[in-house]
Amino acid sequence: MAEGKRPGGLTALAVINFVLCGFSVLSMAGMVAFFALMDMMPTDQMDARQKAQIDALQDMGTPILVLITGLNLLSGLLLLTSGIGYLKQKRVLGRMLGNTYAVLTIVASIVSGMMFRTELGGGFNIGTIIGLIYPILTLVLVNTTFKDDLTN
Amino acid sequence: MNLKTLNARHIWLISLHWSRHAVRSGAGLVYLMIALVFGLSVAHAVIMPVEQLMSVQKEQTGHTDREAIHNTIIAVGRPIAQFVLGLKSMTEVSEQAAAQEQPPNVGDPRMATPEAADPARFDPWTDFLLEDRPALLSAIFLILAFGMPFAISFLAFNQVTGDIQSHGLRYLLLRTERGNIYFGRFLGTAAFSTAVMAVIIVTITLYLGLRVRIYPAAALAGWAVHGFLALAILMLPYIAVCSILSASVDSPFLSLVLAKLTIGGVLLLAVLGGLKWESMRLIKYALPWGWQNHLLHPEPSHWLGAGLACLLYTGVFLMLGYARFETRDL
Repeated sequence: MAEGKRPGGLTALAVINFVLCGFSVLSMAGMVAFFALMDMMPTDQMDARQKAQIDALQDMGTPILVLITGLNLLSGLLLLTSGIGYLKQKRVLGRMLGNTYAVLTIVASIVSGMMFRTELGGGFNIGTIIGLIYPILTLVLVNTTFKDDLTN
Repeated sequence: MNLKTLNARHIWLISLHWSRHAVRSGAGLVYLMIALVFGLSVAHAVIMPVEQLMSVQKEQTGHTDREAIHNTIIAVGRPIAQFVLGLKSMTEVSEQAAAQEQPPNVGDPRMATPEAADPARFDPWTDFLLEDRPALLSAIFLILAFGMPFAISFLAFNQVTGDIQSHGLRYLLLRTERGNIYFGRFLGTAAFSTAVMAVIIVTITLYLGLRVRIYPAAALAGWAVHGFLALAILMLPYIAVCSILSASVDSPFLSLVLAKLTIGGVLLLAVLGGLKWESMRLIKYALPWGWQNHLLHPEPSHWLGAGLACLLYTGVFLMLGYARFETRDL
């Protein structure tokens, strides 16, 4: 399909991708800063719930931290590249990477729900469902509504 | 205005096409994201403290006392609900909270009023929402009834204005009449909004029923159906307002801005103007803002009246928009 006939929904999907990519970068920067300064953080003024969160983060260990940062980075990159793919209506860059982002995020949500302690947002709650909205929408839309638009 | 040109089959086809392609056009996708994220975030904000309370209780006592949780929800939610429903002002709510914290002073003349003497004296509407019906679901419905009208314009702003701007309607008018396009697209927008509302409410109700489990399933399901119908009907007048604006201007962006200003402005003007002139509060009745909470009232006369009023507003707004659309240059 010609690039000039891109449906408005595909453009909207790309814009949402870029916005979420921005959030992903911000959350990664915040997380790195948090871990760098975690030991210097005074915990005596905190309530029990905040202390439990800090303890859970300290217990998490470096491999998991690297895994989370890596997943965040990968998800941000996939959002950016698939967003460009949507705008250019590319099959590989748009549809395939969009699918990859969606599957990766859904799997990461399920795994983090099982792996992390409740203090760190582990377990299943409505927050988990909110986190799954966009990946599921992406998965559905790029394989149905916009399937024939991502063919270049 | 020529209502004789309306054709039910054309309207049905246009509405079906419009609702099916709402996501493809972009407006539907943006609305879907905003509505789902807003609706579920509201539910998250309301349910999360209760889940934390349950988890603390389980840690301390080894089990969850659902009755105690239910009572805590009612105690915390009552003053908020009374304020939201307009039954009490912020000052009265604060005074009531302070009175509950302090031991009663029998010498205080203010204690002569029955309500002050007994802060636990409740009104039937709040009782109904918090005690007779699942309180968490009631709280979510009240917030959604306030917030969703702001989100609906993201879906409804571009019913015809984009095609007016691109002159695309001229090609469609070779096959059907203006009225069929106008009413068909309104119905398609309403159907899409109703479907999104259903998804939000089903998700929240299932979560409350399967995960939180402090309310009986039948009570949850019954109240969810009532809340869904209330919210679905409430959206109609706001969509109709967007229909007027969409049919009146040539730019989708201008239509969106005007829809936001109209829907939010009426409420803002009533609240801010009401601080200075009491009569300014009446402005909120230009849209359903003034009585929309009555859709969740215990008395059938109130919620039926509110539902009928919603349909009346919708009819008036739709006809005004149709009169404009029928006669304008496309």
